[in-house]
Amino acid sequence: MRRWGAWAVMAIVVTGALVYGTVDEGSARTTEDRARSIAASLRCPTCRSQSVLESDSTQAQAIRTDIVRRLQAGQTEGEITGYYVSRFGEQIRLRPDSGGVAGLVWVLPVVALVIAVAGLGFAFRRWRVQAGREVTDADRLLVERARGRWRRRPT
Amino acid sequence: MRRGVGFWSAIAIGLVLAGFVWLLATRDSSRSRLADSPLLGKPAPVLAGDTLAGESFELETRSGRWVVVNFFATWCVPCVREHPELVRFSQRHLAEGDAEVVSVQFDRNDEDRLRRFFERNGGDWPVVADPEGRIALDYGVTGIPESFLVDPDGFVVSKIVGGVSADQLDALVAAAEEQREAAS
Repeated sequence: MRRWGAWAVMAIVVTGALVYGTVDEGSARTTEDRARSIAASLRCPTCRSQSVLESDSTQAQAIRTDIVRRLQAGQTEGEITGYYVSRFGEQIRLRPDSGGVAGLVWVLPVVALVIAVAGLGFAFRRWRVQAGREVTDADRLLVERARGRWRRRPT
Repeated sequence: MRRGVGFWSAIAIGLVLAGFVWLLATRDSSRSRLADSPLLGKPAPVLAGDTLAGESFELETRSGRWVVVNFFATWCVPCVREHPELVRFSQRHLAEGDAEVVSVQFDRNDEDRLRRFFERNGGDWPVVADPEGRIALDYGVTGIPESFLVDPDGFVVSKIVGGVSADQLDALVAAAEEQREAAS
């Protein structure tokens, strides 16, 4: 019982840390910080597997300049990302949207992990119960017969 | 006869490979294709700026005719290859004045190079400068050459990625005209 308590405490601490790390945005950020954060979340439209922040392509440079201009004009990060999605489509996002059906991308792996861990726990428990069974005479007979067949096997 | 795990694994791998081959064999060439865009069916983004001829251009003033908005650069080989087709399309519609081409320079081309490009390759349609790349962002351009067909009401009806041909553009105009007639 005490062992399960320790596991439960650890699960709560890890979950709390993950939630805090994901939700907390920290102290107020500068325009440059916000621009970098948005640029890091957008895929460079003219190159493969690079964010707008990392790419030196003309289009990525234009987007970086445009993001700063839009932030200075008072647009929110959501509005700016929304503008790019309205022009390039959802594929401009490097991180899938967390709302609506797209949110399943985030939820499903967690659900799969929970189911897998629960399944493993259930399987381990079943195997342990089976290990504690008494060996019957019928079991011994079966083993003896098998061993006899093994000995008689031609080499 | 019982089949082993290896047999079924080989069947599964073979099916996956056959699926890949089928997928690659049935896809369109990447050279020129109609692409999806959030702009399709929506009013064309504002396209305004100074042209190479030193005049100001506004797409809005072109309503009533089909406009091919073409993003290009002089250093882009597929753009050079498609240019004669744009010239052909432009000339076909010159007399009727029902369709025209407007080019938007993608990337930083200097004016002299642009002028030489048009002198060498032909074409006398407006070439709009986009020094900050804002027009390309508004149109969601992902590479060049890329063209957008805008209908006489100012709505985007097609996005073509890669080089276009005059026949392809005419076919798109004809198909879009049919749809417009059917809708009205």
